[in-house]
Amino acid sequence: MTDAPELDPVIHAQARLRVVSALSALREADKITFPRLQESLGMTAGNLSVHLRKLEDAGYVEVTKTHQGRTPATLIRLTRRGRLAFEEYTAALRALLDPGAQS
Amino acid sequence: MDPEDDQAPADPLALIERERANLVRHIAPDPRLMYWPWGFAWLIGFTLLFLRYGPDGKVYVNLPDWLPLTVLMLLFIAAGLVTGFAGSRSVRRTSGPTSQAGLAYGLTWSIAFFGFSVLYARLANDLPDQQAGLLWAGGMVALTGALHMAGSAIWQDRQLFVLGAWTSVINIVGIVAGPGWHSLIVAIAGGAGMIVAGFLGWRRLR
Repeated sequence: MTDAPELDPVIHAQARLRVVSALSALREADKITFPRLQESLGMTAGNLSVHLRKLEDAGYVEVTKTHQGRTPATLIRLTRRGRLAFEEYTAALRALLDPGAQS
Repeated sequence: MDPEDDQAPADPLALIERERANLVRHIAPDPRLMYWPWGFAWLIGFTLLFLRYGPDGKVYVNLPDWLPLTVLMLLFIAAGLVTGFAGSRSVRRTSGPTSQAGLAYGLTWSIAFFGFSVLYARLANDLPDQQAGLLWAGGMVALTGALHMAGSAIWQDRQLFVLGAWTSVINIVGIVAGPGWHSLIVAIAGGAGMIVAGFLGWRRLR
């Protein structure tokens, strides 16, 4: 009863939770371009890069450099591990907010 | 890095929902741009067609005989350009299976309509005007309905299935009712259906 679920410290930080939440709306295996993600989140490019690197280090996010025609493009997706961590995070969160609902 | 970046979020569940909705809105094409150009093209174009070529050859408004079809074609081309542009912009925002599906879906529309236009051009001169008109309009509306229903399977969008089924049913009713009536039914029920679909889709994303 008292063993409250741990919240993943990588995700449980305002900025990174926003990044991971946004990426979780993509279908699995879909990637989004960096500028679109940045626009959706309303973060500066530098700030977003910092948080993406932390998420990449944790293995939650995959960043791919590629070309779309001649223009270089950076594509981002949530890895399977990242998606799993996000699902566990939201489940833990719900359990914390409403412990009675736990089966 | 902002100082609050590493702080625990105050209301994480609300934050999660907000960011997910935000992202979908940023990558999906604006439903208004996808539906309204077609809705208004049908509404205006088929209304002109009805007024000039009414049931049993009745002429409600004595427009030049080339005018309704020319207007309809121009509105279709304009609508195709708008949706093609909005759709391809959306496709480029992501990469992967969804983007591939979007490209294939967009090309399917173009190729299907082109194929049907060729068939029509081949047959039109051998048919009486009223029959040729019904072949053209009935075929185009049938294709549109079928592609919307197929689209609902690709995008897992029930609303799109309803639109496609609705379009198909009013098309059948119009074809059975005959030339003239078909134009009126497609103008009102079909045009309005797409305008409503654009509005509902936009409200859902907003």
